[in-house]
Amino acid sequence: MSFVNPLGFLGLIAVPVLILIYILKRKYTEQVISSTYLWTLSERFLRRKNPISRITGIISLILQIFIVIFISLAIANPVFVLKGMANDYCFVLDASGSMNMTLDGSTRFERARDVIEQRIRDSAEGSYYTLVVVGDVTSVEYRDMEDKATAIQRLDEVQPSQSDADTGAANLRANEYFTANPSVNVVFVTDKNYSQHENVEVINVTAAESNYAVTDAEYSVARTGVTVTGTLYSYAADAQLNVDVFADGAESAAASAQCEVKQGVGTSFTVDLSQDYVGFSSIRVQIREADSLPDDNAVILYQRESAATYSTLIVSDAPFFLEATFATFGNMQRKVIATEDYDPAVYSGYGLYVFDSFSPAEMPSDGAVWFVNPTSNVKGSGFTNGSAIVSEEAIKMQLNSSSSTKVQTLLKDTIASEELLASMTQYVKCRLNGTFITLASCNGDPVIFAGSNNYDNREVVFAFNLRETTDFVLSYNYLILMRNLIDYTFPALVDDGTFYCGDALTVNVLTGCTAIRVDSPSGKIEYLDTDEAFTEYVMKEVGEYTVTATINGTQQSVNVFCSLPEEERRVTAEGTSFSVDGEASTVRRDGRYDDLLYIFIILAVLVIADWMVYCYEQYQLR
Amino acid sequence: MVKKVIDDEFLSQVETLQMLVRNNVAGMFGGNHKSKSYGSSCEFSDYREYMPGDDITKIDWNAYARFENLYTKLYLDERQMHTRIYIDVSRSMGYGRGRKDEQALRIAATLAYLSVCEMDKVSIYAIRDGVLEDVAVGMLGKESYMSAIGRLNDLQFSGDSRISDAILPSTTGYGDGMSIIISDFLTDNDYERAIEHLASKKRHVMCVQVLAREELNPKARGKMHFFDCEDISREYRKNITRDIIKAYRQAVQYVTDRIRNFCSARDADYLLVPADEQAGEIFFNKLVGMGVLK
Repeated sequence: MSFVNPLGFLGLIAVPVLILIYILKRKYTEQVISSTYLWTLSERFLRRKNPISRITGIISLILQIFIVIFISLAIANPVFVLKGMANDYCFVLDASGSMNMTLDGSTRFERARDVIEQRIRDSAEGSYYTLVVVGDVTSVEYRDMEDKATAIQRLDEVQPSQSDADTGAANLRANEYFTANPSVNVVFVTDKNYSQHENVEVINVTAAESNYAVTDAEYSVARTGVTVTGTLYSYAADAQLNVDVFADGAESAAASAQCEVKQGVGTSFTVDLSQDYVGFSSIRVQIREADSLPDDNAVILYQRESAATYSTLIVSDAPFFLEATFATFGNMQRKVIATEDYDPAVYSGYGLYVFDSFSPAEMPSDGAVWFVNPTSNVKGSGFTNGSAIVSEEAIKMQLNSSSSTKVQTLLKDTIASEELLASMTQYVKCRLNGTFITLASCNGDPVIFAGSNNYDNREVVFAFNLRETTDFVLSYNYLILMRNLIDYTFPALVDDGTFYCGDALTVNVLTGCTAIRVDSPSGKIEYLDTDEAFTEYVMKEVGEYTVTATINGTQQSVNVFCSLPEEERRVTAEGTSFSVDGEASTVRRDGRYDDLLYIFIILAVLVIADWMVYCYEQYQLR
Repeated sequence: MVKKVIDDEFLSQVETLQMLVRNNVAGMFGGNHKSKSYGSSCEFSDYREYMPGDDITKIDWNAYARFENLYTKLYLDERQMHTRIYIDVSRSMGYGRGRKDEQALRIAATLAYLSVCEMDKVSIYAIRDGVLEDVAVGMLGKESYMSAIGRLNDLQFSGDSRISDAILPSTTGYGDGMSIIISDFLTDNDYERAIEHLASKKRHVMCVQVLAREELNPKARGKMHFFDCEDISREYRKNITRDIIKAYRQAVQYVTDRIRNFCSARDADYLLVPADEQAGEIFFNKLVGMGVLK
């Protein structure tokens, strides 16, 4: 046994002081009276000698001495060493989206926290605690923490995510700790079943929750109206589900479907909206029935086709291929002029300027620029023209095989097989600055590249003549690459798609964009980097995100809906394996007992007893 | 002192009272109290046959006419009573603020006054250390009383009492009146032989126990060390608690009951008087109620 504050025993000085006071208080008051006869006679009438009355004084003194001793002891704070009574704990807490399922007012996550908190409370003092939280990311909240109160407080601060859990990373962490200390107790608190959990105690907090979900929602617009389809799931029991459809916030239609519990198989539904809703902006599909997890009971669809159209100026003396190409893709308003007619003072305000076999004297500053077969250097274009490379034999045009996201995005859907690649006999050898990405090359020289010019406008360069020295326009990849490059030139703020929690949302940094702000469903605001052509934002919440870009002083907003991952919707789910490798050790840590509660209880009893003795004395002296 | 406690107004009030003696008095001189012998009072008592030499004026001629025998009427004799008052003047009677001494002297003076008003002879004695001291002996008539009663002022309360040792060797008289002992009787049985002795002398005995209010209902609490004022070696050391006070009250009850019962068994009167009790309460209520006064 040791003491935290040995100086607390200085309080024992009060003991002799108490004894002195007791001795002084014992003094009898002397008095001469007329006769002691009656007093002496009264002894015969004391029915029974009350032993307590005789020793109340000494009892009071003894109690007060004990009170002083125990107060000193409490201040000194004794610590007892309990041999081999403490443990090391590594708690792995599943914070995935399914842990938000609620039953009787408490979520699975809260129950999991309670389980860990109880384990911490029940463990002997001197134990060490490590907490690994598996949410949208796997994080170690604390490691080898000894203080119970702090461990519980930090545990209470942990919140569940709405993503799926990366249990693999958590398993790695647990393995790491177990390898370092084989006596650690690994406790995994989750809502999934793990049949394999070597050296790991798995605590399943699943209860009898119910859950419904709507997924795969799509719409199609026709002249007669809008058709919304989707799939309904009931994960716990067969259920008759009702779906309400809200177009632009107003309840517009409803559907009903009988859902059976079949693993991975849902029930389709179709809702038809009248032609009044053809021009809708958003449609919300909502399951009417309440369940344990409301996160997956609604989906929002957005109609973006009615967005902006793009104006294009084609400066070419033979614009056939380009005009035909642009005509293939909708929403592009084209104006074609001859190279001799181009006057920057007259032709401005276009979203895209295409210069075919022509190099203007200066770069347009208000739009994207395509150069096809540039003839001379243009200041601010970001590249310089070199000499023309002429070959008697056709040179195969190689596509960039880089795995970078930008390259993969720009070469999306193209095929790099030998027989499908284009070839050419002449191209311009260009030298690029750092903002350009090469998409295709001949003999190592970039022939198709994309990037930004000095006005931060997007720029695409074809360093060859589309009409005369190449078969590129006839190749398989031509239209695909042109579509990708037009998408690159006129990017939407965000790409359409189905997003799940944990997914990265790609936000395109449009020309003139100075700020991009993302409002999450819970109201969190984050500003994204606008230095690159596009930036990414990881969505961690279920619901509607609003992406707002400030472009040339005006704001453009787009909504994106993020759904709960499919594996987090199931009421019961199977985990693969969560085991740690190695031989568990039975060596335990020395525990510590320093609870002052019992000392305070004894102190309270002593104080009450002393008070009762005092009351008895006062009663006797009344 | 006496003049202070017995004022003229009070004396004129008690003057209306009369002492009643339980046994007929056998005194030598005539007085106001009935005697067992036949005498010359107006109160008819009996008849007896006329004998030569009898006063012929006492013959009942009506009886002679009816029975043709001479009968002489007999009348009760009235004799003078000798009231003897014994005052315990031990230290315990005069110690402290209990004023037991004042009360004892007040009672003695009042009863003496009542006796002299009845034309009785009154003697007052003081008992100290087992010796009887004369204070005012043979007072007869108010003038004698007024000249002698002032000696009570000179009494000193000291020593111990030993009532029996004082009374037994003294002249007590026989059947000639009342013997009054005024004391606190805080002793085991010192008084019993004296009472028995007086009763055997056909005296009407009355014991007046005077106790201070503090003795009847003590206020002392806590750790106390008491010393007896008469004998400093007698002490009592105790933490005075509720239980002890309860036992003390039982002791007081025991002592008073014992005297009361002892007196009752010997046809004697007993009166418990708190030291601070008003004289009117004692004489007009208690003594009248007991039949000692009327």
